[in-house]
Amino acid sequence: MPPLLAVRNVAKRYGAVQALIDASLDVDAGETLALIGANGSGKSTLSKVINGVVAPDRGQLLLDGRAVRFDSPHAAKDAGISTVFQELSLVPQLTVAENIWLTREPLRRGGLIDRRTERRRTEELLSLFAGTLRADLTPDTPVFALLPDERQIVEILKAISVNPRLLILDEATASLDSRQVQRLFELIGQWKAQGTAIIFISHRMTEIEQIADRYSVLRNGQTVGAGSMKETTASDLVTLMAPETAGGAVERRRASPDALATRRVVLQIEDLRTSVLRGVSMQVHEGELLGIGGLKGQGQRDLLLAIFGGVPWSGRMTLDGKPVHFTHPRQAMNHGVALVPGDRAGEGLLSIRSILENLLVPSWRNYGFPLRMKRARQDAAAIAARLEVKMASLDAPVSSLSGGNAQKVVIGKWLLRNPRLLLLDDPTKGVDIATKAEFYRLLTRLCEEGTTVILYSSDDEELIGLSDRVLVMHDGRISSELAGAALTTANLVAASLGVSAGVAL
Amino acid sequence: MKQSRWQQATYRHPYLFALLLLVAAFIANALLQPNLLEPTTLNRNMRVFLPLILVAVGQAIVMIGGGIDISVGSIVSVVNAILATQIGLSGDLSTAGVMMGVALLVGMGAGALNGLFIAYLRLQPIITTFATSFIYAGLALFILPNPGGGAPSRLTAFYRETIILWLPLAFYVIALILLIWAVVRRTRYGRYLYAVGGKADAAYETGVPVRAVQFSTYVISGLMAALGGIAMTLLTGSGNAQVGDPLTLSSITAAVIGGTPLSGGAGGVAGPIMGAIILGLIRNIISFANVATWWQTFVNAAIIVLALAMPGIINLVRRRTR
Amino acid sequence: MKRLTISPPLAAVLLAIVLFLLSGFLPNGFGGNLDVATAQAVNIVRLSVFLGIIAAGQTLVIISGGEGIDLSTGAVVTLTAILTYTIVNGRNEQVLPALLAVLAVGGLIGLVNGAGIAFLAISPLVMTLGMAGVVSGLILVITQGNVSGAVAPIMTQLIARPVLLGIPGAILIWAVFAAFMWLLLERTAFGKNLFAIGANRTAARLSGVNVTGMVIGTYMLSGMLAGLGGFLVVGNTGVVHIRIGDPFLFPSIAAVAVGGTLLTGGKGSYFGTMAGALVLTLVTSLLTTMQMQESVRRMVLGATLLAMIAIYGRQRGFRQ
Repeated sequence: MPPLLAVRNVAKRYGAVQALIDASLDVDAGETLALIGANGSGKSTLSKVINGVVAPDRGQLLLDGRAVRFDSPHAAKDAGISTVFQELSLVPQLTVAENIWLTREPLRRGGLIDRRTERRRTEELLSLFAGTLRADLTPDTPVFALLPDERQIVEILKAISVNPRLLILDEATASLDSRQVQRLFELIGQWKAQGTAIIFISHRMTEIEQIADRYSVLRNGQTVGAGSMKETTASDLVTLMAPETAGGAVERRRASPDALATRRVVLQIEDLRTSVLRGVSMQVHEGELLGIGGLKGQGQRDLLLAIFGGVPWSGRMTLDGKPVHFTHPRQAMNHGVALVPGDRAGEGLLSIRSILENLLVPSWRNYGFPLRMKRARQDAAAIAARLEVKMASLDAPVSSLSGGNAQKVVIGKWLLRNPRLLLLDDPTKGVDIATKAEFYRLLTRLCEEGTTVILYSSDDEELIGLSDRVLVMHDGRISSELAGAALTTANLVAASLGVSAGVAL
Repeated sequence: MKQSRWQQATYRHPYLFALLLLVAAFIANALLQPNLLEPTTLNRNMRVFLPLILVAVGQAIVMIGGGIDISVGSIVSVVNAILATQIGLSGDLSTAGVMMGVALLVGMGAGALNGLFIAYLRLQPIITTFATSFIYAGLALFILPNPGGGAPSRLTAFYRETIILWLPLAFYVIALILLIWAVVRRTRYGRYLYAVGGKADAAYETGVPVRAVQFSTYVISGLMAALGGIAMTLLTGSGNAQVGDPLTLSSITAAVIGGTPLSGGAGGVAGPIMGAIILGLIRNIISFANVATWWQTFVNAAIIVLALAMPGIINLVRRRTR
Repeated sequence: MKRLTISPPLAAVLLAIVLFLLSGFLPNGFGGNLDVATAQAVNIVRLSVFLGIIAAGQTLVIISGGEGIDLSTGAVVTLTAILTYTIVNGRNEQVLPALLAVLAVGGLIGLVNGAGIAFLAISPLVMTLGMAGVVSGLILVITQGNVSGAVAPIMTQLIARPVLLGIPGAILIWAVFAAFMWLLLERTAFGKNLFAIGANRTAARLSGVNVTGMVIGTYMLSGMLAGLGGFLVVGNTGVVHIRIGDPFLFPSIAAVAVGGTLLTGGKGSYFGTMAGALVLTLVTSLLTTMQMQESVRRMVLGATLLAMIAIYGRQRGFRQ
């Protein structure tokens, strides 16, 4: 009997980027397939090919052994393929019920929407996650009023409400807490028993080991391995995903806690509060690389933004011993603080403008009137050369660069200003391995030169390898601090999940 | 993100602010014009407001769907020009009926052209409907180079004087619109409209026929503008190729005051109807309040700007006081 | 999708040249007469100056993004034209004070626009639309229906008459003005920040750009430039009426669009707008020369604009 879905030799190119070269996979009814790969290996593109959002350049999809072609997500859904999207597919202005049943509203005779049935069915779906949701979450709550984890759950409910034959979960657990994840896994067990096939995409190896029956590994757009989970180990999978990093490309000598304590305190924060943060206190020393860890969305982003004056906050903050309260990034910038934001396209880059202008945005005022373009161009060229940005010319639009090179531009615009305190929000997301290695060397060198760095990363290995010390955040607070011998991946994972480890604060 | 109670209230009842404003304007107007509630006075007001109400409803639907239609005024003018020249002051009722049908088709056709460019050729709504507004305004002027023509008095009298059970004709038209809207709101199309205006990408991924919905909003807007044009012709009883010009901007103002944001995906039809009535009442109040003639336009505009700015001011004050 | 090797401003200039050459073949065109052709060309450019300068503020506002648009431009032109007319009242020594006054008034109106947009989060379309109404009302309040005054001889001389080598003063003013605009957009931190906030407001803010200040400043500049436009318009016509600015409003937006400035902001140039102003003025005057009715003129203008934006104004699709 043919597999429920077979993907054969799919390729897809976006402009200059070859996202998929040769990807294949099989998934049977009633089993969970883990689709794994490093960032940028093409997992999301492959899932979008399967669910009809992206049209492949080459290759084919076989459903029950018959070749199919989906011209739209709707066509895929009609064929029984449903997806929990990573970028949420909910309309903020519509309610929970309206979003879940969009295009499939129960109708009464006469074509009007049967709102009572719709509400009842929505309540049934919400009850699947009962106990892990806020009590005031009803079918009539507008989606814009939901928290990120609640949105993710609504997204999951929307996908499952069609009773799909194949359910794709693309990083669906990223913003869920551990209770919600466990509930999801129980549900996946039930759905499997009913014959649903599941493709599970995640970065968390523990989750994959817990839930998957089989795996398929993508590397640089190519399928490089597949098999049964029983016959493999986590380290084998990691080797398959990224052979060149197995063992770790990060090699930075950690400063000992004692040595750090003797250095000058650059930044001191007491009881920092924002709409997300619930009282954060910490200090960072000169030349230190302080890591911020924890599950995604625990307030790491807000912490960095608050220091940079990007969100309003209360509490006390001293920079070099002087109290500061930045209300605009410009003030922070003028005090030598720099932020590489987490959403590169949305917050870091002016996509339609040139590389030159992107590098110089924070610095134009230093070039007088009229702007001394020759000097500005020299400075930009120098920083681009130092960071080895691979580009056609400084005048090319920054949108023509690959992820890694574009990130270099974001970092480069701050290096032009020689920051004393560099804040980095998950800077290696979607960056290729070679560029990551360059990037690690750069951070190491900056710290040696006395720059203080605060780094949040969703990549635990990277965080452990680079940081002198790691603060783990949970629910808007710092839940624990890892330093010295306690600074290990195992401890970090445990601390992230709220299992106590390391030195509790 | 925490939502304030005001935001929640305005989400559930987008016309809340308009309703408050309407009540205030109504009271002010009633004080200045004590016989406001008498059927004849009410009728005299409502028949003047009706063309804008019709156009504003169409505009609001486009705006809910995430677009904007700058060409509605010109469509009103085209319809006025067609009716005034083809029916004429002495025209018979059957010609009038046929021509009104033609007018509706022309309005929908003009809307379809807008929709074609915006939804299927993916041009920007503002600049596209602005360009087509030139084309339609030229067409109106081509049909009726100089003011003239008109509609027979039997027809205009029907529009101007009909009062059923103490309520003017306009009330029944409004009731009909609200009834149709209440039904549409409960159909899939109604849902799609809000989904497309709220987040077109998400709607597309879910399988909503985004382009078709966008296209349809412009056709509806064209149809409503044509109805507005018919009402305008029957109100004035004459033809003028520029009669619709002021309606474009007023319709946007009415929709915005009525709680329809330009960002799309929110609002309704009741709000814009109130918005249109508010604009009319403000005009009334100013003329009854003995504001010096030369000050009237200024005072009118200033009140409108204040009304438009009020939600922003409320939010600003709320943020400051929190 | 963008495979055009020719930039929109250049395309607009080429279109203008082709249209102009074609106009020579009209029955009452210049034919093969070089002198007449030159005179006609100079006249077209001269006529474009006013739209060109009024559209300058519009260019800035549209580049600033955030659905930026200034619909108060027409009313501001009218108001400032009337103010100039009344203040100058035929006296040369009053010209400079009048110029400063109209710049201040235009700037003040723009300031209110910018404040409403930046602080109250009113959409630019709605805010400037409302402001257009207020300014129109203000005009009636000030004039009470009749305007008395006169332009000064020096204004007529500098704006409407040939100044140098038979080139009218208006064109020289435009050349200097264009240089100033280029300097502003390409060689000042303000210009660079303007493109930055147009391209991505969040990224600009996180790069230390004061977005609020930039937005307010841009609308203020737009008001001032409309004020300058009003001053020049009245200097050219020598008479004023209370609708003098209205015909400039929509063409000012169209000129920006035809000149290839991205209507979503972040990309564009004043040279494009100049070319756009030329094309629009040329099309209008061509249709006038052809003795087309007003109705046909409007339809052709609309169709031209539609064609130009259809060529380079398309937005991205949903499916990749």
